[in-house]
Amino acid sequence: MRAALKEALSRGWVRMVALVCAATVGARIAGAVLSSEIHFSATLAEPGKFSRLEVALLLIGAGISIALFFRRFGPILCIIFRSKKDKDFSLHPIGRRMWDFFWEVLCQGKVIRQRPLPGLAHAFVFWGFLAFALVSLNHLANPFGLAFLRPASYVGNFYFLFAAIWALLVAVSITALFVRRFLARPIWLGEKLSYESGVIAFLIFLLMVSYLGAFFVGDGGAAVKALWWMHTLTLLVFLPLIPHTKHLHLVLSPLTVFLKRDGFSKIPPLSSDEDFGLIAGKDVTQLISLQVYSCVECGRCTEHCPASNTGKVLNPKEIVLGVQSYLNQSGPASDAPLLTEALVESRDNPPARYMSMEAAFECTTCGSCEYQCPVGIQHLPIIIGLRRGATNTGAWEDTHGTKLFLALEKQGNALGLSAMERDKFIQKQGFPIFDGTQEYCLWLGCMGGYDPKGREIVADFARVMRYLGTSFGVLKKEKCTGDPARRLGNDLAFQTMAESGLKSFEATKVQKIVSICPHCVRTISNDWREYGIAPEIEHHSEFMARHKDRLPQQNSGESIVYHDPCYLGRYRDVYEEPREIVARAGELVEAPRSHERSFCCGAGGGLAFLGEETGERVSHVRAAELVATGAKIVSTACPFCNTMFRDALSSMGDAPPQLLDIAQLTARALPTMQKTGER
Amino acid sequence: MSGVLVVMEQRGGAWNRMSFEALAAGQQLAAKLGIECSAAVIGESVKTLVTELAGKKLAKVFAVQHGLLKDYTSDGYVVALESLLKQTGPVYVVLPHTYQVRDFAPALATRFRQSLISDVIAMHDGPVFVRQLLQGKLNADYKQADAGPCFVSVQAGTFRAEDVEEGAATVENFTPQLEASQIRSKPGELFREAAHTVDLSAASVIVSVGRGIGEQENIGIVEELAAALGAELAASRPICDNGWLPMERQVGSSGQTVAPKLYLAVGISGAIQHLVGMKGSKTVIAINKDEHAPIFEVADYGVVGDLFEVVPSLTKALLAAKG
Amino acid sequence: MKILVAIKQVPERDAQIGITASGRWIDESDLNYTINEPDAYALEEALQLKEKSGGEVVVMCAGPERVGSTLREALAKGADRAIHIEANDLGERDTLGVAQVLAEIAKDEAPDLILTGLQSDDLGLGQTGVVLAELLGIPHATLIMHVEKTVTGLRVKRELEDGWFQHVEMPLPALLTIQSGGNKLRYATLMGIKKAKTKETKTLQAAAAVSPSIALERVYLPEKQKETEMLTGTPAEVAAKLVEKLKFEVRVL
Repeated sequence: MRAALKEALSRGWVRMVALVCAATVGARIAGAVLSSEIHFSATLAEPGKFSRLEVALLLIGAGISIALFFRRFGPILCIIFRSKKDKDFSLHPIGRRMWDFFWEVLCQGKVIRQRPLPGLAHAFVFWGFLAFALVSLNHLANPFGLAFLRPASYVGNFYFLFAAIWALLVAVSITALFVRRFLARPIWLGEKLSYESGVIAFLIFLLMVSYLGAFFVGDGGAAVKALWWMHTLTLLVFLPLIPHTKHLHLVLSPLTVFLKRDGFSKIPPLSSDEDFGLIAGKDVTQLISLQVYSCVECGRCTEHCPASNTGKVLNPKEIVLGVQSYLNQSGPASDAPLLTEALVESRDNPPARYMSMEAAFECTTCGSCEYQCPVGIQHLPIIIGLRRGATNTGAWEDTHGTKLFLALEKQGNALGLSAMERDKFIQKQGFPIFDGTQEYCLWLGCMGGYDPKGREIVADFARVMRYLGTSFGVLKKEKCTGDPARRLGNDLAFQTMAESGLKSFEATKVQKIVSICPHCVRTISNDWREYGIAPEIEHHSEFMARHKDRLPQQNSGESIVYHDPCYLGRYRDVYEEPREIVARAGELVEAPRSHERSFCCGAGGGLAFLGEETGERVSHVRAAELVATGAKIVSTACPFCNTMFRDALSSMGDAPPQLLDIAQLTARALPTMQKTGER
Repeated sequence: MSGVLVVMEQRGGAWNRMSFEALAAGQQLAAKLGIECSAAVIGESVKTLVTELAGKKLAKVFAVQHGLLKDYTSDGYVVALESLLKQTGPVYVVLPHTYQVRDFAPALATRFRQSLISDVIAMHDGPVFVRQLLQGKLNADYKQADAGPCFVSVQAGTFRAEDVEEGAATVENFTPQLEASQIRSKPGELFREAAHTVDLSAASVIVSVGRGIGEQENIGIVEELAAALGAELAASRPICDNGWLPMERQVGSSGQTVAPKLYLAVGISGAIQHLVGMKGSKTVIAINKDEHAPIFEVADYGVVGDLFEVVPSLTKALLAAKG
Repeated sequence: MKILVAIKQVPERDAQIGITASGRWIDESDLNYTINEPDAYALEEALQLKEKSGGEVVVMCAGPERVGSTLREALAKGADRAIHIEANDLGERDTLGVAQVLAEIAKDEAPDLILTGLQSDDLGLGQTGVVLAELLGIPHATLIMHVEKTVTGLRVKRELEDGWFQHVEMPLPALLTIQSGGNKLRYATLMGIKKAKTKETKTLQAAAAVSPSIALERVYLPEKQKETEMLTGTPAEVAAKLVEKLKFEVRVL
C-alpha cells in the first residue's frame, strides 16, 4: 500500500490534482470562516421562505432528475423481471434471510470484517446515509412548508446534531476512500482509474459539506438558501447517476443480499429438458440478473481468486460485469452466446478475453469470490452455469476433460483405473466390507481408493478408527461421487454417479458415512440432494475432533502449519476441528491466509484432472506461502490438497517440510497394532 | 491334397518372419495328424523365396504368381487363394496372424462358408485351437464343427521359427485367373509418419525414466537401454517438468496415454498420475530401489535394485543377445 | 453419405470374470455392459464424417434386450437412427453366422459406407467386418486410422506393422474396420441424451441360426495369473533373466 502510494505520488499530475482539490476545499472553508456571516452555532439554520419560482424550479429539477433516473433504472428492472424465473427459488428459510440482511447490510459485517479500514469507512458512509434519511426528507419538504423537523424543538435539534456527527464521519470517510482509490490505487479496484467514482465521491462530500455548512450560518439568509440549493442540486444530480453507475448497488444490494440463493455455492437444478446451463441471455435467471446489476466493482472477489492471482485470464469481477454488459447489449431473451472468444472491454481493467471458455474453465470453485462479496453476488452458480452450457452441449472439447468424462462413464472413477485396483487395496488392508452391522461406512473416494498417497491417508484413518474401537466397513463397489463432473458442468455424468451412489447406499442400508475427502463429503451431503437424500456423512476431522480426548497427546513441539481446504472451510464451515487434531500432534501455526481466507491448492473444480495451467501454478504459490511460515510440517485435511502440495513441495529446496494429513499426524502416535491382512 | 497348407507372407521380396512361425505350426499340426504339409507364397515373381522353402520338410511349395499380385490387395489374394484351395483341397489352412492376414483371411474363409479361428496361442490334440478372450483374461478352446477347410491364424511368438524342419519339397507353379476389374481397391505407397512429434502411443516398446534417475546427465544410460531395445524413450512428469526430456515424452494423466507391448519403467515410483497413462501396457517391467514402490503393483516383472547397476547390465546383455 | 455403423455390446473391461458351471461361457449375471471400444471409434469416425460432409449415421447392434442401452448411447453421441437386431443366441453362432444377421440389415439399408471396429473386446476374433463385406460383395479395408471422402469414393489411411502406413483408394459402397485411437472419442452429453429420446430405434428379429463351422468348446482361466514376478540376483544375473523374459515371454526380441 505504501509503495503504491509512493508510486502514485511520484506522478506529477496526481500531485497537481491533489493540490488543487485541497486548495479548493481549503479556500472555501477559509472564505466561509472569514466572511462575517459565518460563526458556528449549535443549531441548524433553516432556509426560510421559498418563492414560487424556486418551488417551480425545484419541481422541474426533481422531475427531470427522477425521469432520468427511471430512464435508466426502468430498463434495468425490466431486464431483471424479464429474465427467466428461478425455478427452485423459495423465500424460506426467511429467518436466515433476515439475519443475513441484518448482519451484512445493516451491520456491514462482511464489508468491515474482510477489508477492515476501507470497510469501516464505507460502513460510516452507509450508516450516514441511513441517518440522513429523515434529514433529506425534511430538506425537500421545506420549500412546501412541510418541514417536520424543527431545529428549535428538542427532537429536531438532537436529530440534526446526530446527523451532523454522521456528516462529519461521512465526509472524512469519503475523503479517505477517495485518497485510497486515486492515490493509493489498490490493484483490485482495477487498473484503470474510475472517474465516475471520483465524481460520486465528490458529490457525497458536497452533500455533507453543504449540510454542515448550515451550522455556520444564520436562519433565513442568502447563505443558508445557497447551501440549501447546493445540497438539493447535488441530490438531483446524484439521483440519475445511481442507475448509470455501480452505485446502483445503493438501491439493489439490500434486496440482493436478502434474496440470495439459500446455500453457499448452490448450483440450481436444471429447470427443464431444454435447459443445459447458461448458454445465452435467455438462460440467465432473475437472481443472476439482479446480482450482476448489484456489482459494486470492489474487486474483493478478484483479490482472493487463485486464478486471478496467478496470471490467468479468469477474473470473477469481470465475469459478473461481463454478464451485466451482455444483458445491457443483448438483453435477457437473447440467443447470442454468453461465452465469447472476443476481447471484452472492461471499465476497470485492460481488455481481455474475460468471458471466454478458457476463463470459465480456470476456476477451482474455491468459493473465495462468493464468500467475499459484500453485495450478495453468488459467483459460483454463474461460473458453473457457464461451464454447464459448454459441457452439456459438447461445446467444451478438452482432451483431459473428455478423458475424465469417459473414465467416469466407463470405469466409474475419475482416474480411469480398473475397479479391481480398489478391490486389491481393500484386501491388502484387510478392510471389512460394510454389511449393515457396522456403525460407519468408510467412504474411500477416488483418491482414497486409487491414489497411493490417498490410500496412505485412508489406511491411517482406518487405524485411528480401529484404535478408537469404532466399527466400520467399506462398500464392496464404489463409484466416484461425481464431484469433478458436477463442478465442470457435466450434468449427465453427475446424475449417473449420484443416482448410482444413492442406490448403493440404500441397498446396503448405510446409515452413517465418514470420509477423508471434503469433496466427497460436500457432494454426497449437498449436491446429491437433487436426486435423493444420502445418509449423513461427516469428514474425518469432525469425527476425530469428537474423540480428541482419546487421541494421544503428542508433545513433539513440532511446528505444524495447517492449510484449510476450500471444501472443508468455506464450503462446510469446519475450521476448528482439524486444528484441534493438529494441536494434539504439535504446535499449530497459522498460514498468513487461513480460515475463510485460505488460499486454494488449485485442485478443485475438476482442475486436478485437467492439463497444464498457464501462468504460475496455484499449488506452488500456496505451498510457498506455507513453507514461508517456517513450519516443519504442512498439514492438510484433503487428499487433493495433499497431492497438489506433494508435487509443489518436492520442487522446493532440499529439505522441504513434511506433508501429513491430519489422519497421518494422529496415526503416527498410535501404538502399532496387528490387524488381519496387513503386510 | 487334403493336408495342411501354410500361407506364407512376403512383401517386396522379403519374408515377414512370422511366416516361418506359421510354417513350424503347420508342420507340427500335420505331423500330429499324420498328414502332409505344404506351403504357398503369393506375389508377382517369387522364385527366390520359393526356392528357399524347397529346402524345408514340405510336400509341395506353391508359387502363386500373377502380375496383379505384385502389391498386396485383399481382392487379389482372396481370388488367387480361393482357386488354389479349390484345386488343392487342404483340410487345414494355417496363416500367421499378421495385419495382412487379418485383412483377407476372413473373406477367404467366408468363400468356403468357414469362420477363421484367429490369433491362436496353442494347438492341442483334437485338434483343439486355443485363443484368448477378454483381453487375455480367459483362454478358450475352439474346434472345427463341420467339414470344409479349417482356417487358423497363429499369434506371433506361439511357435518358434527355429523349429521349422529341414527337408526337401517339390515346387509347383500356380497361376490363378485374375482380372484387373476384380481388384477394387488401389493401394498406395508405404510411408512412415514424419518424426515431428514423438507418438508414444504408436510405440510397441517403451522405456520410461522417472525421478530415480537423479540427474539429467544420468539419462544417458536409459537412452542406451532404449536404443538397445529399439524402444521409444518416455518419462514421468517430474523429468519433463525439469526440462530434462521434452514434454511430448511425458506419460501420464497430463501427458500421453500409452499401451505398448512392453513398458519398462526405470526409477519410476508409480504415482497415480503416471499409472493412468500406462496402465494399458501389455507387459510392465519395473526397476526401482524401493520395494514398496506402487509401480510394482502393476508390474509383471519387477527388479528391486539400483538402476545404475541394473540398467547398464541389461543394456549389455541385450546387445549381446542381439549379436 | 449414409453410413451404417455396426456396434457390439461387450462386458465392461474391468469386470470380474467368473465361469459358468458348464465351463462353456462366463457368468453374465453380475456383469455390466458397454460399447466395444473399437466400435466407439468407428462411431466417432462416422459422426465426424457426417459433421464434415453431411448425411446420416445409422447404428445397428445384434444381441439381447440389454444392447438397447448401448444403442441409446450411440444415439446420444449423435447417430440419427438405431436398429436393434434381437437375438439371444449370438454365442451359438460363429463369425459367419453373426455377419449373416448383419448382412440382412445392411442389404435393406443399402448404405454408402459401413464402419465397424477392428475387433471386439470380448471375443477378439477381428473378422466380422471383413466377413460382412464379403457377404455383401463390397470392397473393404482394415485397421483404418483415417477416412477421407473423395470424388471417386474414399481415401483411407491403413495402419501396418512397425509404424508403417498406407493410403488406399476405394470406391463406394465399401466397408472399413476402424482401429482404436485414430480419433478423440467424444463424451456423452446431457443434450445428446435428451435428443436421443426423439430418435428412432427399430427392433427386428434375427433369422434363425445355421449350424456354425467352428465351435467354442470351453473357457477357462489361463494358468499364468498376473503375479508380479520379482527377479533377484546380481545386476548381471537379473539382466540375463530379463533378456530371457523379453525373448520368450514378452516376445519383443
